[in-house]
Amino acid sequence: MINTSELIQALLWGVANGCIYILLATGLNIIFGVMKLVNFAHGQLLMIGAYIAFAATTALGLNAYIAILVAMGAVAVIGVGLERFTFRKVLGTDKLNEIFVSLGLIYVFENAAVLLWGNSVQQISSPFQGFQLSLGQVSISYDLLLAISIVIVILIALFLLLKKTKIGLAMRATSQKSNASMLMGVNIEKVYIFTFALGAALAGAAGALYGIIFNFSPTLGALPTIKAFAIIIIGGLGSIPGAVVGGLLYGIAENTAVYFLGATWQDAIAFALLIIVLAIRPTGIFGEKGE
Amino acid sequence: MSRTLVNSLGSIKREVVNFSRSQKFYFVVAVMAIVAVLPLFASDYVVTGVLTPMIIFAIYASSWNLLASSGQGSLGHAAFLGIGGFASALLAVKSGIPPIIGLFLGSLLSAAIGLLIGLTCVRLKAWFLAMVTFGFSVIIVTIFREFDDFTGAVMGFRTPLIIERGVPFFYVSFAFAAISIFLMYLIMKSKLGLAFRAIHQNEVEAKMIGINTGKYRLIAFVISTFFAGLAGGLYAQSIQYIQNFIFDPYYSFLPLMMAVIGGLGTIEGPIIGSVIIVAIDRYLPGIDPALQGLLHPLFPSVSNAGPPLRMLGLGLFLIVVVVFAPKGVAPLIKKAYNYLRSSPQEKET
Repeated sequence: MINTSELIQALLWGVANGCIYILLATGLNIIFGVMKLVNFAHGQLLMIGAYIAFAATTALGLNAYIAILVAMGAVAVIGVGLERFTFRKVLGTDKLNEIFVSLGLIYVFENAAVLLWGNSVQQISSPFQGFQLSLGQVSISYDLLLAISIVIVILIALFLLLKKTKIGLAMRATSQKSNASMLMGVNIEKVYIFTFALGAALAGAAGALYGIIFNFSPTLGALPTIKAFAIIIIGGLGSIPGAVVGGLLYGIAENTAVYFLGATWQDAIAFALLIIVLAIRPTGIFGEKGE
Repeated sequence: MSRTLVNSLGSIKREVVNFSRSQKFYFVVAVMAIVAVLPLFASDYVVTGVLTPMIIFAIYASSWNLLASSGQGSLGHAAFLGIGGFASALLAVKSGIPPIIGLFLGSLLSAAIGLLIGLTCVRLKAWFLAMVTFGFSVIIVTIFREFDDFTGAVMGFRTPLIIERGVPFFYVSFAFAAISIFLMYLIMKSKLGLAFRAIHQNEVEAKMIGINTGKYRLIAFVISTFFAGLAGGLYAQSIQYIQNFIFDPYYSFLPLMMAVIGGLGTIEGPIIGSVIIVAIDRYLPGIDPALQGLLHPLFPSVSNAGPPLRMLGLGLFLIVVVVFAPKGVAPLIKKAYNYLRSSPQEKET
């Protein structure tokens, strides 16, 4: 028998999950759209973001929600370093090189996190821990509500950045035709650095939020990367509205699937869906033809 | 299909003749002779723990390399290593088939499943293909775990042996490796290999000059998964045990590391990479206790900083190779060799 309130609860968790995936997928998508580059180590940036926020709350004693800003800034700086010293060097060469570099980065990040913070499971303590907003039979924690609203704020800010500012215009121009925009006076290198930093900052924010809601360990990164990929495949490569819709759909679908089927098959089901979608439509569900 | 086969068989025959006449032939024979006498001077531990894994992983890395030479970078080759290993071991345990025949049947099963996955993969771009292959390895481990009654994958089990462990098994795997790698060499040198490289360089242009890219990518997939399955069967034999851990992403990334560090797309690259990585894997842990006193104050949150530090170093090594020496270590060794054998006058110029 399906319990309605439990189902609604599962849906709410799905939305919260989906919000984190949206941030990750949007970052991955922006980087792909502008640079035509796929960073498989994007989930590791999320993991690093969670640890930086954790360190900021424990070592510096910051509020968990201010630590999100610290995580975004720090991961953006890491992103600039990655772009300058690794991905820039292989951009435009063999596509496989990007995969190799990402794989190397996965090893570097995961083991650096183990060395710095150990293998044990951590969680960021939030000032609202334990506070619940109850609506009849359904209750939702303040942290979950705050996370959802923070994601909405970030997405609106991102939208304004892309549509109203000069750098946003340059990014959109570069994503359409990088050579032509270079001829129009866009400094492509700067756009690339900014794009990668932006994508990384989104991953950092996702990581901090993840750390507030769930517990995490150094091996956290791998599955979110794959889920972000699944979302991008559903929403279409390079499309931000697609990533938002895809992220919500995926988060809800995943949580209801776990609710009905149990958690053991969770990861395998995510992949099976991914493979089936790609077998039917190699470019993704809403993906443009040709890319 | 049959015409391509006849064509490529013809070119393979030409390659055999060419190879036997070339200078390379003597070099290869010399290296093989050295490897063949190595066990006579090495201890039992070195033969079973170091030399045999090097040889088996050379097959595995070469199989990955063959697939990558057609532009398809798999991140889930452990699935095929595991299928080969489990199938050959289960056949020997459950139906009493001689292990050596089980080895072939296991490789064939791996190739058959490779064909199915390949059918999905051949239409995909590089990063989607990487995701799908990685995903397949996660799905396959779930399936093996769920059907534990049949597979025995959760607890693992002992595999029946072809031949006594130690030196005899070393020679068996050496023979398998020599034949497999020679076959892969011929394939890479034949028209098939040419088509693979053309697809890798530019798939659209390859299609335009009349290469049926889907078909060739699928052929690469089947050949590669066959040898990966063979390597899996041999690996299960070498450690005399098989369990779910064989599907770990670690085993998927291993051949990639070996092939890329050694030299992607070359025949010697995966072999050199396998020697380097297995040597690091076996000998570097030895210095952990010595470093313990130094590392512990630096990284107080981990009890033994050695393994994560090594993995981190391996990741950095991979990035450095891809960025600064995209052709891997093999050309550097070749250069050093040529420099050493050249005459003093040549060195001056």
